[in-house]
Amino acid sequence: MRFLQSFIAPLMLLSAGATQAASSWGFEDAKLSVSGKKADGAKDKDVRKFDDSTAILPTPVVFDSFDTFKLKLKTKENGKGKRPHQAFLVLRDPTSGLEAPFPLTVKDGGKATLEIKQSELPIQLAITTGPLKASLVIASFGSAEGFQKDVFDVEVVRDPVAAPVAYEKPLRYGKLPEIHHIFRSDPQSPPKVVSLVFALAVVATVPALFISWLVLGGNVSHLPKALGAAPIAHGVFFGSIVAMEGVFFLYYATWNLFQTLPVIGLISTAAFLSGTKALGEVQSRRLAGER
Amino acid sequence: MKFLISFVVLFWAALVHAISSSGDRLLVVLEDAAEKETYSKFLGDLEGRGFQVNYETPKSDSLNLFHLGERSYDHVLFFPTKSKGLGPHLTPKILLDFINADGNILLALSASQPAPSHIVSLLLELDIHLPPDRQGLVVDHFNYDVLSAPEKHDVLLVHPQGALRPDVRDFFSPAAPGGEVIAFPSGTGQTLGAGALLTPILRAPATSYSYNPKEQAEAVDDVFASGSQLSLVTTMQARNNARFTVVGSAELLSDKWFDAKVKKVGETKEVGTLNREFAKQLSGWTFKETGVLKVNWIEHHLNEVGQVNATSNPKIYRIKNDVSYYISLSEYSWDKYIPFTVPESDELQLEFSMLSPFHRLKLEPVLTSRDSTTYSVSFKLPDQHGIFNFKVNYKRPFYTSVEEKNTVSVRHFAHDEWPRSFVISGAWPWIAGIGATVTGWLGFCALWLYSKPAKGSESKKTQ
Repeated sequence: MRFLQSFIAPLMLLSAGATQAASSWGFEDAKLSVSGKKADGAKDKDVRKFDDSTAILPTPVVFDSFDTFKLKLKTKENGKGKRPHQAFLVLRDPTSGLEAPFPLTVKDGGKATLEIKQSELPIQLAITTGPLKASLVIASFGSAEGFQKDVFDVEVVRDPVAAPVAYEKPLRYGKLPEIHHIFRSDPQSPPKVVSLVFALAVVATVPALFISWLVLGGNVSHLPKALGAAPIAHGVFFGSIVAMEGVFFLYYATWNLFQTLPVIGLISTAAFLSGTKALGEVQSRRLAGER
Repeated sequence: MKFLISFVVLFWAALVHAISSSGDRLLVVLEDAAEKETYSKFLGDLEGRGFQVNYETPKSDSLNLFHLGERSYDHVLFFPTKSKGLGPHLTPKILLDFINADGNILLALSASQPAPSHIVSLLLELDIHLPPDRQGLVVDHFNYDVLSAPEKHDVLLVHPQGALRPDVRDFFSPAAPGGEVIAFPSGTGQTLGAGALLTPILRAPATSYSYNPKEQAEAVDDVFASGSQLSLVTTMQARNNARFTVVGSAELLSDKWFDAKVKKVGETKEVGTLNREFAKQLSGWTFKETGVLKVNWIEHHLNEVGQVNATSNPKIYRIKNDVSYYISLSEYSWDKYIPFTVPESDELQLEFSMLSPFHRLKLEPVLTSRDSTTYSVSFKLPDQHGIFNFKVNYKRPFYTSVEEKNTVSVRHFAHDEWPRSFVISGAWPWIAGIGATVTGWLGFCALWLYSKPAKGSESKKTQ
């Protein structure tokens, strides 16, 4: 008996100390229900029950566009129903970290209710693709430890028929995507073989021409006679014709117009002056019947 | 004697070790002179950094932010006042004119005094929202200081938040080797609009919220804002780089909290507060001692192979030229210019654009000197001729904006810059044709001038 008495006093002290340290907020009798449109009758689509010691609910709560989400619970401090200053249901998007608080309406005894429609969700959470995490935060002034825990997941389902909601991300200063100009492709020539074949075909016409002239009786037999009659005139005349072709070649290769034109002027004068004499000699041969 | 005076002057000049890059005239607006004592360490730090501090009450007659069209002060520091208005010299319009004239403002609010209506109007202009009825107290039942606010939970202990995003430089995180925190006693939180010019420095912890102590003392059923949507310290940098900071708690800047010891609920040991260092970084940013960028010079030139002595910054280029662009940037840090390094995942970009960018390229740092960094990029001009601009548009949170535009003409190929026809293989048949024609013509001339008719025609003639 003595032993038991000495045993009991420290036990009482210990338990008293324990209750002092464990002054904390919590909740019980939480009932979560998702109900459809009123026309469906009072039947709730999804009803869950939990309290502050249950782990996070395994399956997410599906929340459609016409559903109303209701949460009822009783907050307590140290086991006694009491009204806290802060009783929020916080919905959090895990990818972006955005949170939206929904304060519960709490009566004096600790009975708390909350009703949310999908239209009350902020747009960034309403269009999210993954499940939202819902946590309850129950706390107040004083030394009691507050309660904060993830309690369930919410999957927001949008009505596929309804018009899609446009959400424009706000402008934030940062680097913009890189742009590299795509150049037009250079002009291309056909394969060199093709060009060579046709160039050879063209070049082949020159000997064909000269051979056909020879066959038809072409000759330069009067050359010695012409040179004997007017050597300088003929030399300069034919030379100026050849020189003109040379000028054309130089204009193609390197010269510009201002270098070419004076030379053309010189050569044409030479051709004109020598040509009268040279062609006069040709006329004399024609009049003599030799042409 | 002269030597002594100059020595003393030089000695004092050497002591000034930090100075704002945009002027040192600071006006402090307080209700009464006794408040100077509560903020003596903060104001003393400001004077030590080289600011010339003037103290005025809001209703005083000698208070004039402008004189003859110019600003008479470069910076203004507002402490909470009890009066509902701020007097005829600090109307919202005058304060906005002050911001438009590149003046910086640091505003401290308090939960115990409702903000004056002039301040509320000014904040609304900038899309910063205060709690309704201008009464709001931020509390957090999970991050409060048990030594000073065990019941009311209105002293928040916040860890320095680090960089806002990985590509934004962090100016506001004092070093906390022993787990020190920033104390935010009895302050008002703000909510921010969606503009890009507003940036929160200190966001409230996730479990905190703002409530009206007069009307919502029992329970909160309609919360103004909570968690990270509540901004405790907000900054706004206008497009002309004027800076405006709102500190939700003026007591954060007071002497009592500069070197206090706090203990967070749930922790076992006491830590010091970082308020003094945080206040220094905050006022340093607001009064343009940090985060100011300067462009020293810009140079671009032709970068083709085999060129000689390209001129610097020519007015005209040709399409498809290879061009190099160089820009030199410095950052002002407390009292001198230092080389500017772009934050890790951020890029300094050059846009080569006519009406829209044809190129947007990353500028790489090539040269660092004692007080500047040179960034450069080399690229090929587009094959579109016209009037183009080299544009560097670097606007980031907490840095002054850098907008540089250099206009150049880009001409098309000149008639003698095209490839010659003999290098174009498709032209070879045509060149052969010309050669054939020339040869045929010369042959014909020789034949016509010097030929003797063939025998057959002679007989025909004498018919």
